[in-house]
Amino acid sequence: MSSYVLELDQVSVAAPGPDGPRPIVHDCTLRVRAGEALGLVGESGSGKTLSVRAVAGLLPDGFTVGGAIRIDGEDIAALSAKRLRAVRARSLGMVFQTPRAHLNPLRTIGDFMTEALVSVAGEKPDAADRRAQDLLAEVGIPDPARRMRQRPGDLSGGLLQRVMIAATLAMDPPILLADEITTALDVTTQEEVMAVIADLRRHRDLALLFITHDLALAGAVCDRVAVMQHGRTIETLPASTMRRDAADPYTRRLLSATLPGELVTDRPPAEEPVLTVAALRKTFQVRSPRGGREEFVAVDDVGFTLARGGSLGIVGESGSGKSTTARIICGLETADAGTVTVKGADWTKPARRAGDRRARARIAQMVFQDPYQSLDPRQTVRQCLSEAVAVHRRGLGRAELDARVDELLAAVTLTPALAAQRPRSLSGGQRQRVAIARALAAEPEILVLDEAVSALDVTTQVEILTLLDGIRRETGVALLMISHDLTTVRRLCDHVVVMKSGVIVEQGPIADVLDRPHAEYTRTLLDSIPRAGWVPRRRLPARTSALPTVATRTTRIIPGGEK
Amino acid sequence: MSVAQLAGGRVPTFARRLAVRDPLLIAAGIVMVGILVMALFGPLLAPYDPNQLYVGPVSGPPSLEHWMGTDDLGRDILSRVLVGAGPSVFAPIAVVLASSLLGTLIAVASAWFGGWVDGVSSRLIEVIFAIPGLVLAVLAVSMFGKGLIAPIVALSIAYIPIVSRLVRASARQELAKPYIAALRIQGVGSFAICFRHLVPALLPAVLAQSTVGFGYAMLDLAAISFLGLGAQPPASDWGVMIAAGQPSLLIGAPEQSMFPAMLVVVTVLAVNILGARVTTWAEGAGR
Amino acid sequence: MNASVARQLLGKLGGLLLTLFLSSIVIFSAVLLTPGDPVVALAGGVRPTPEMIQAIKVEHHLDQPIWVQYLYWIGGVLTGDLGTSFVYKTPVVELIGPRFGITLLLVLYTIVLIAIFGIGSGILAATRGRRTDRAVLVATSFGVALPTFVVAILLIWVFGRVLGWFPVYGAGEGLVDSLYHLTLPAISLSVLYIAYLSRITRGAVVGQLHSEHVDTARVRGIPRGRTFRRHVFLNASPQILAISGATVAGLFAASAIAEQAFGIGGLGSLLTEAAARKDLPVVQVISLLLVILFVVLNAAADVAIALIDPDSVKPRRNA
Repeated sequence: MSSYVLELDQVSVAAPGPDGPRPIVHDCTLRVRAGEALGLVGESGSGKTLSVRAVAGLLPDGFTVGGAIRIDGEDIAALSAKRLRAVRARSLGMVFQTPRAHLNPLRTIGDFMTEALVSVAGEKPDAADRRAQDLLAEVGIPDPARRMRQRPGDLSGGLLQRVMIAATLAMDPPILLADEITTALDVTTQEEVMAVIADLRRHRDLALLFITHDLALAGAVCDRVAVMQHGRTIETLPASTMRRDAADPYTRRLLSATLPGELVTDRPPAEEPVLTVAALRKTFQVRSPRGGREEFVAVDDVGFTLARGGSLGIVGESGSGKSTTARIICGLETADAGTVTVKGADWTKPARRAGDRRARARIAQMVFQDPYQSLDPRQTVRQCLSEAVAVHRRGLGRAELDARVDELLAAVTLTPALAAQRPRSLSGGQRQRVAIARALAAEPEILVLDEAVSALDVTTQVEILTLLDGIRRETGVALLMISHDLTTVRRLCDHVVVMKSGVIVEQGPIADVLDRPHAEYTRTLLDSIPRAGWVPRRRLPARTSALPTVATRTTRIIPGGEK
Repeated sequence: MSVAQLAGGRVPTFARRLAVRDPLLIAAGIVMVGILVMALFGPLLAPYDPNQLYVGPVSGPPSLEHWMGTDDLGRDILSRVLVGAGPSVFAPIAVVLASSLLGTLIAVASAWFGGWVDGVSSRLIEVIFAIPGLVLAVLAVSMFGKGLIAPIVALSIAYIPIVSRLVRASARQELAKPYIAALRIQGVGSFAICFRHLVPALLPAVLAQSTVGFGYAMLDLAAISFLGLGAQPPASDWGVMIAAGQPSLLIGAPEQSMFPAMLVVVTVLAVNILGARVTTWAEGAGR
Repeated sequence: MNASVARQLLGKLGGLLLTLFLSSIVIFSAVLLTPGDPVVALAGGVRPTPEMIQAIKVEHHLDQPIWVQYLYWIGGVLTGDLGTSFVYKTPVVELIGPRFGITLLLVLYTIVLIAIFGIGSGILAATRGRRTDRAVLVATSFGVALPTFVVAILLIWVFGRVLGWFPVYGAGEGLVDSLYHLTLPAISLSVLYIAYLSRITRGAVVGQLHSEHVDTARVRGIPRGRTFRRHVFLNASPQILAISGATVAGLFAASAIAEQAFGIGGLGSLLTEAAARKDLPVVQVISLLLVILFVVLNAAADVAIALIDPDSVKPRRNA
């Protein structure tokens, strides 16, 4: 009989509140066997992160936990504080979403790696040092010795994530708790990290509790998937038969959100494009790590067109220059070279005078990524929208303003009752709708969406994208969608531009690019998208054999290279 | 949604009922009102002429006729304290008003225009900051003579950097937020963005800083008067009284120094409590 | 510390020097803004004859353009000629010399007190649980409302009149006696700053205690003491260091109050007397001295911070 490495039995978590404890997690029940990978999937507010933090003992002050948590068969409630610390240190490896926050920025990587080895496992500094380098190599970090001397600030997010994983391996835990570890990473980096984890699982017989909002990813890399909503585990399914066996309507909705969806195939009649970008170039002056000045080429010879009433997606990972391009088009940045032509007028230089800016505002508007910061927190929805309307229609009476605001709210399917509220009482999806309404107030012909849905839950994303598509069809506004997520672009756009490191790698109608990609980068991007049957592959060479571990006080010793 | 946001629950509304649950704030409020009343109506409330010599015994202890006793020249301490409240309270208010206004203006201009405007004003601010406030006041006095005017002007200048640094940092943070970019793209005019959106965002922090700054200004001005460089005898500014009462301490008559000293401390305590509450409110006001 | 950090630091230090230069101009200009004729002041109360006026003008370079006068003044400062007191008619150097040591001793004594009690109580408040935290909070709330002159008269009353444990006047002879005499003044100076530093320390330490990287260290089982030293306190120290430059410079200025209250013949009391008599040369020199101190201390703090946290010196990328 295989033993359970981790069990959560009707675990509940309550936050401290002014009127007593407020339960956030009501019933989280799951079991992870040795060597098994269990995905824990849910949207924001589902309680998945809190449940795992309860296991690791990382809840904020004042939080209370109910139910039973068993690590390696031991009920943690029955353990003394000292013993519990020891059990957690040796049995749990925990990796988080933003590794940078979990590393002391003032100390070197080497220090971080060897710390636990020296002070907890009692190793000698030299042996710990060597072991740390071996672990770094195992997770695929080239030149470990150099990295050991660097500080977290010198490493990228993907590398840091691997460092964290390597550090957790030092104690050779039976289970790895991974909390949204790839959410902040590019999709290609995500593939690398998942490949590393897959290797580690194979060679170390490592169990995995993989928390994510991405059901497709969980289905692809885990053996079983548990779904949480509103603080409860709703159902647990084997990954391979997930689509077929899902019974709960919420799970089915999540599943349908991950499906590719219909491609946009209706193309507007070929006429004069509403936006033409040609030979755009933008460089930034940055201080290089060596102290001198360096030129960073953000956008290099970028050109594309946007048809009237069409929708174009610009896809790229971080640093590809897609956001900079969008900002140049909207006048937030000045290009060094190239042209931006909108409806025949030259928009290459940003508008200076207020009159010019207003004129341009009536043509192009922008919706930003962060729903929490794109609205003035001090304004009510009505004040925000009224201001946007009043800029272009001076001298409107109160009643007419209100009527127009109500129209806008209806256009984004928000009830008028929300108009008196401030952003802080709205959900992320509602705030984005307000932002879209604000953009529509100017009755623009081009709507630029800079990662406008990236910060939203998956189900909300689908809603907003559907809304935007509807708006495009009704009003004929052209959409320019910037995103790192090909699946988002797929839902909304009829043409796509793929960017990498400031240059356009490929562009064309969406069906062509997705089905018959020419550029290798496009192929890599497509391959990195988790889907059924997906196996993450490493692109960098690395050591994959297991390594001898330190004989700790547990009896688990994996001999070198034997598995 | 982060764990911390979940923990915060609903955002508290700072309504009166919350204030009632905060007895310290109520006490501080009462004290402040009392002090303001003294400052405004001191001369009317004083039982004796504060400058009349020998209305009572020399350095007499508190009694029914003289609630705070008499000083070394036989003047009634209570009357002097009441009359001295005016300069002791309004001078710091002047300092805070002037420095907050100027500091905010410089900081907003700095953050808005950036470039050389920012560079020059930042350097200017740093130069002012390098000279301790007390030293600026002393310098001013050695130029223009003793009295309260020179120190008030000097301290107003000396306090600008504190306000300015705070406001500049907040303003830059605010201007980097997407909603400001959205407003620009919407075509809203620069002036409107500045005064309808930016300044209201900065006001809570400025208010909090001003409240705390009032306490510092009061202490600094009283210290300058204590040194004999600020208000001059026979004015009954509290700092002057404390200094004048120093010799009496050793003969067992501490009232002349102690009562004004207690008033200074109590006022600053109340202001600090108020300031702490305002700061907490200010931090929550932006969400 | 690598080369680029060193370069950034030098840039910062250069900036500080520029500030020093500009401040010296401000201090120098005090002479220009003063109402009245400097010639009369220099003549020392005697109504000057035309020959005297001419002589004074030549001697003090008053007939030269402003910037030349400034150069003479700065040149003098750098070579040790600090001008002549309006009031005493003696070189300022001679006035300052003996007094400097006393003030220095007082300030050093105060710094020790502030460091021990300020940082110490801040750490205790942050690490020893709610009760200690509350107690320290109440104490510091009072502390920030107790300026030097209030504590001074309190101490004078208690120790001068009631208990005779410490002397309340003068600075004493010799090191031990001086320390004995300077104890009460040092206490009076330190109370406010102890409270202030205590709060800053507490805030910085608490901020680190609740940070995620400390959580991670705990989960990994790193022992508490080690966690505190290497992760909590180390990361909190830049914040504490950052305010130390301005604090100590302010201390020197505030010593004037303690010296006045306790009858100590130090730099501060000289400053007060000079200001009262509008003895500008003396005030200017002492002011300049204090600015130099501020700049030097800030530079030292910047270097220390750069050693602990080299990344803080690098400007952020713009991409």
